[in-house]
Amino acid sequence: MRRLPPSSAGRAVVVLFLALAFAAVLEAEGLRKQAEIQPAGFERNLALRVTKPLVAFSRALHLTTPRHDLQVAIGRGGEDRIDTQVHLTLPPPAGPRPRKPKSAKHPPKPPVVHRPLFTAARPLRVWVAGDSLAEVPGQALERVGGAVDVVGVESRLSTGLTRPDLYNWFTRIEQAPRQLHPKVAVLSFGADDAHDYMAGVPEGRSVGPLGSPSWNAEYRRRVDGVTRELIARGILVVWLGLPIPDGPGFRRSFPIVNRILAGVAAAHPGKAVYVDTWHLLDDAHGRYTAYLRVHGTLTLMRLPDGVHYTAAAGDLIAAQLLKQLGAFYVLRA
Amino acid sequence: MLFPTVTFAVFFLVVLPLSWALQPHQRAWRAFILVASYVFYGWWDWRFVFLLAASTIVNHVLAVAMHRTEARARRKALLALAVAFDLGLLGYFKYAGFFVTQFDNAFGTSWLVNATLPVGVSFYTFMAISYVVDTYRGSLVPASFARFAVFQAFFPHLVAGPIVRASELLPQLEAPRDPRRVNVSRAYVLIVIGLFLKVVIANHLATHIVDDVFAAPERHSSLEVLVAIYGYAVQIFADFCGYTNIAIGVALLLGFEFPQNFDAPYTAVSLQDFWRRWHMTLSRWLRDYLYIPLGGNRKGRILTYRNLLLTMLLGGLWHGAAWTFVAWGGIHGLGLAAERALGWRPTSPAARWFGRVLTFHVVCFGWVFFRADSFHTAGQVLGRLFTAWGQGSPLVTTSVVLAIAVGIAGQYVQPGAAVGAVAVFRRLPALAQAASVAVALALINTLGPEGVAPFIYFRF
Repeated sequence: MRRLPPSSAGRAVVVLFLALAFAAVLEAEGLRKQAEIQPAGFERNLALRVTKPLVAFSRALHLTTPRHDLQVAIGRGGEDRIDTQVHLTLPPPAGPRPRKPKSAKHPPKPPVVHRPLFTAARPLRVWVAGDSLAEVPGQALERVGGAVDVVGVESRLSTGLTRPDLYNWFTRIEQAPRQLHPKVAVLSFGADDAHDYMAGVPEGRSVGPLGSPSWNAEYRRRVDGVTRELIARGILVVWLGLPIPDGPGFRRSFPIVNRILAGVAAAHPGKAVYVDTWHLLDDAHGRYTAYLRVHGTLTLMRLPDGVHYTAAAGDLIAAQLLKQLGAFYVLRA
Repeated sequence: MLFPTVTFAVFFLVVLPLSWALQPHQRAWRAFILVASYVFYGWWDWRFVFLLAASTIVNHVLAVAMHRTEARARRKALLALAVAFDLGLLGYFKYAGFFVTQFDNAFGTSWLVNATLPVGVSFYTFMAISYVVDTYRGSLVPASFARFAVFQAFFPHLVAGPIVRASELLPQLEAPRDPRRVNVSRAYVLIVIGLFLKVVIANHLATHIVDDVFAAPERHSSLEVLVAIYGYAVQIFADFCGYTNIAIGVALLLGFEFPQNFDAPYTAVSLQDFWRRWHMTLSRWLRDYLYIPLGGNRKGRILTYRNLLLTMLLGGLWHGAAWTFVAWGGIHGLGLAAERALGWRPTSPAARWFGRVLTFHVVCFGWVFFRADSFHTAGQVLGRLFTAWGQGSPLVTTSVVLAIAVGIAGQYVQPGAAVGAVAVFRRLPALAQAASVAVALALINTLGPEGVAPFIYFRF
């Protein structure tokens, strides 16, 4: 190679190309993971095609070892692992659910539900988990304090139930009850699920585009599976619905997810609840609004992206959630 | 497009060699770099490329008209029109929602405004204002349309500064850059330091303590709150200084010099000293286009205090449409006025150390209002500092304390050390330079948390 002067454009270009090439080899595993977790489409396909030989080359030269060893040293050993398994240990329901008896004249009185008492001394343990929309309502619940003890707010950007390769919530939902012992799990999923691609689909099955019967069935299987896993551990499941968004794209896709979340919650009466944030945050005409009046004052509810919540919206959702929890528990500060 | 992403790396791999290949053909280069800058900007939301282009067209047309006319009244009217357009743009996209809501709350009306804030609008609007004001003052001859468009949209500074002046960048756009004089070593050292500050330090502090504490201060101990305040001071420095270091480095590789934006701000011995070291390009913009036109310090003591306070209040509002930002500006304005009234200029080593500690804590006090989403939260954070000592502090971990220590101690490293690092890097052969940059990138990528958080200053 011709010797380049230390301060020349040629050197700037050569160093950039070589540095990025070397770095790509050293970080091949990380790049592979990034490629895997991208939204489906041309970019992902291209990234997967490029990173596959890169990983093979890097492994052959043992150049993936420094990254791996450093990750282990800082306690993040499994970060590059891509786990697409949808871990649902309970078998699906054996058959159709029993129909309600038809007796319109004298419907049976609902059973008297015993509502356990929770206080500041013996608080209700609540675990909040989900995508980026889980964070603000989770923090709002933390602010409630008193009889509510938030044992964790786990909010992972751009994750959901359709992409276990990006972050496997099924594994996490299996582990969390053992570690945190919650009585209530507040789950906020779906904003990043409202697209066509699904990872972890059982072999031999294919899933059509968002909203198609096959997509709906697979998504319902996952939501229902997660719900039943938690219920089996004695945990009340709260599904936070998706809020009314600004912009036409999400306005078509969010209701598809909301219908499934609400349907699954309704299928587990007394054990699962759906919180309708769509209608909690729309205006008097059922349209999107960034502001709502709270105690007579116009208050900003949504961030400029037209989806995410402000702290005030979090407080509103937390208040609604507590109101619905009131059907199950007595919460006394 | 964010700097620390694979997308930007691929973008820059294409842009850098093509930019140098086209440099001898200036017309083609200007067209190319303008398109590249619009792609960079439009990656976030392509619709706002039209807004940027509209700002360029209107400011250029008015600046040229101003330059061509001799009549003072007409020049003044054209300047007023240009500034009104720029402030109108900023006002609608950034402040309309805020002010209309204040009005609605005061008068019970419902004239809501829902406008999406375009990334970088505050930065490129301030650059446009300085361009038309300098043209009005006669200190600048308007450039050709293509040069002005590149000046305003040049991607390294486009979304979060530094706020480059026309007199700094336009002369560099007049002639092809010399490919034999590129400060390669300084560029790569700046990029690596910038990435480390952003990806490792800022992101670590945000995700491990700051966000949690500011979201629910009453759930945390006094020690956690105190460390979170220090943590935010380091986070915002690392985030913003990191971004501008990368921007300056990227511009250097393309053959352009940007002004320095940070100079160890937490070593400042007074607030006046702090503002000479923090976001330096904004400070001088506020000085030259606000403080001095208001009268500066030429109209007596009281008016000087007023001017300081007004400048800082408006500087606070520039950062965001919320009263907490105004309060942040007010704290700095009052502090600057107090320093001036007391004649605070520490000279002895002991006084300078006292000044450093005091200034850092006043700045941290201001950051509480800057970071908190409301006065209520700011009050809770400050109140919690005194009411929850002795509780467990699980968020105060070794890595958090280390990140804060590195962020502050790094500012006390003598500038000579950085120059030395550049000199050592410069002596390496190209292959060794590439290898050392690659190892640094790999380390930063592995140590940083998963995903890339947006830069704090993007929202301003």
